[in-house]
Amino acid sequence: MQLEPTEQTEPRESAEPASSSSALRERLSAAALALLLAPAAAMADSAATTQIDYTTLFYGEQGRTQVFEPIVRATRLFGDGQSISAQLGIDVITGSSPSGALPSGSVQTVTSPSGRDITVPAGQIPLTKFEDHRFGLDGEWQKPWGSFFTSTVGAHVSREKDYQSLGLNAKVSADLMQRMVTVTVGGGYNDDSVFPVGGTPIGLSDGSEVSKGANSKRVKSVLFGVSRVLTRRWILSVDGTRTFERGYLTEPYKVISLVSPFNGLPVGQLTDNRPSSRTRSSALLSSVYHLRNDIIYTSYRYYWDTWSVRSNTIDLKYRHDLREGWYFEPHVRYYRQGAASFYTIGLSTQLAPPEYATADYRLGRLTTLTIGADFGFRVGDNPSQWTLRAEYIRQKGDGLDPNADGVQSSFDPSPAINTVTAVIGYSFNF
Amino acid sequence: MKSSAKWLRLMIVFALPVLAGGCATVRPWDRDLLAEKRMRFIPNPMLHGIDEHIYFSKEASMGGQDVSGGGCGCN
Amino acid sequence: MKRKAVSLLLLLLPLAVAARAGAARGAVADPPRVASFELPTSTGTVALDGLRQKVVLVDFWASWCGPCRQSFPWLSAMSERYGASGLVVVAINLDKNRELAQAFLREFSPPFIVAFDPAGKTAEAFDVRAMPSSYLVSRTGRLVYAHAGFDRRDADAIETQIKEEISK
Repeated sequence: MQLEPTEQTEPRESAEPASSSSALRERLSAAALALLLAPAAAMADSAATTQIDYTTLFYGEQGRTQVFEPIVRATRLFGDGQSISAQLGIDVITGSSPSGALPSGSVQTVTSPSGRDITVPAGQIPLTKFEDHRFGLDGEWQKPWGSFFTSTVGAHVSREKDYQSLGLNAKVSADLMQRMVTVTVGGGYNDDSVFPVGGTPIGLSDGSEVSKGANSKRVKSVLFGVSRVLTRRWILSVDGTRTFERGYLTEPYKVISLVSPFNGLPVGQLTDNRPSSRTRSSALLSSVYHLRNDIIYTSYRYYWDTWSVRSNTIDLKYRHDLREGWYFEPHVRYYRQGAASFYTIGLSTQLAPPEYATADYRLGRLTTLTIGADFGFRVGDNPSQWTLRAEYIRQKGDGLDPNADGVQSSFDPSPAINTVTAVIGYSFNF
Repeated sequence: MKSSAKWLRLMIVFALPVLAGGCATVRPWDRDLLAEKRMRFIPNPMLHGIDEHIYFSKEASMGGQDVSGGGCGCN
Repeated sequence: MKRKAVSLLLLLLPLAVAARAGAARGAVADPPRVASFELPTSTGTVALDGLRQKVVLVDFWASWCGPCRQSFPWLSAMSERYGASGLVVVAINLDKNRELAQAFLREFSPPFIVAFDPAGKTAEAFDVRAMPSSYLVSRTGRLVYAHAGFDRRDADAIETQIKEEISK
């Protein structure tokens, strides 16, 4: 028999996975009881649940930056498919990062942007010590509209000693072709300000002259994505983003060494200076495949921007579930980027400085390799979910530059940075 | 702005093979596996957010499935 | 800028068409006859033909479907409220793994008939477009109402249809 119910359609809510927590169970049986006493339509929000997620990140670079970041998130899920969430995170950052200056053959004393003198051992790259706290508050509201559309609206505020960010973002998803295809269109706007400690140094200067006040940085972004169900076990997605950054995009604390073209020794330094506009694009292809029990996540991203940075990222995860709430998920990520057009390891005293220059290794050619794993578990009969993650990140710049002046050709301007991260997460519903 | 129109067209062209590629439908009652939470592209948004934050501070790239990236003075 | 707007419009056009194509629910104008089914239950079998003279609410569900979880208390309420007046609720489970369905049923202990169709043959015959889906079958075995998905806001409309059918 083939019925032709012309006025029939897809459900308002797509089929979500069933949670089997006993807390939810309790609420649902309470809801069922209430139903027997009250009219069906009056059950309002008895099916609403709250989820609390708590995670803490420990991030440690060998000999450099350390970050401790606790985050808590509360999500209220309503019976009609709406959800509202709020997230608070605090970053405590300590340690040091490369100033951008080059190593020298002897002990050198360099002046940090905040006016302190730093003594750097021979052959080592100069580091700048820093300490900061970051507070971030995020909110998100998701709502289904009719049978096919879902909107998500988000806002964030974050504040550091020398940086503030205010942002809004929104996206709309539409389910098409009997829910085989989902199209997402979105946009975001960030109004950020940078107010460096000790003032903003003039670009490509010795840093002695500074301007007071905040510098503005505005970021607009757009997103276009299509995801498609290929088979009962396989979904594929293509996403493109484009981000327009305008304003102060320089790193105020970074410097570039001035080197003598005769022996390659650093004789001074200039402040970092970057263009005030950058347009970034990314194209991401991702796939999720369900094996008999395990899941394979793969993704590839190509990124390009108007500073001539190009990058390729490959990400692989394999999730193996042992039993309800218990799983093991190894993870590998490979990232390779090309240098920005104005990246240089140092500037020669013999040549006139260019319009823009940076020696920030993060705009140089580099490779990042990440290896890690997640482990999910539960304690006893409690349905609360625990997650542990441990990762090792190795980042390496270009290494020795045979074309460098004099003594510089024997120094590695971007030695490998080894980082270990650990995350502990805990989630529960009530 | 002209390059943005070009970008949008590029994205549409890029998305076409994903949209096309056979018309076989997975019937509503065969979506048991697809309905699992772990079949989402981002099953754990918090861990994903942490990752984005780490890589944004260490690398020159950004972008993926979201428009809410950045927002820190870490890069 | 203009070209960008045109591209965006082209992009949104199919969405608008898709949205119009799907009105949410409704009574079936010229009620077709529903082909019978015979399916196993936990205690025996249920056949639609055996329920003539009854108004039957046929519901398709699965344990992994979120909205189904919300529809069950409502189905229970309908069964308890109108069972005496001639309504029979038959919830057809489409789980491939019977154990998952049993776990779901232990949570709800529904007062209505639950049948099992792991191969989905009945769902195919009813041309189920979404999970859950419910179909109201008249005393004469004709399909009078079809609804895809579960939304509390639509529950009243279905209840009105049930009341109308049992009064016939």
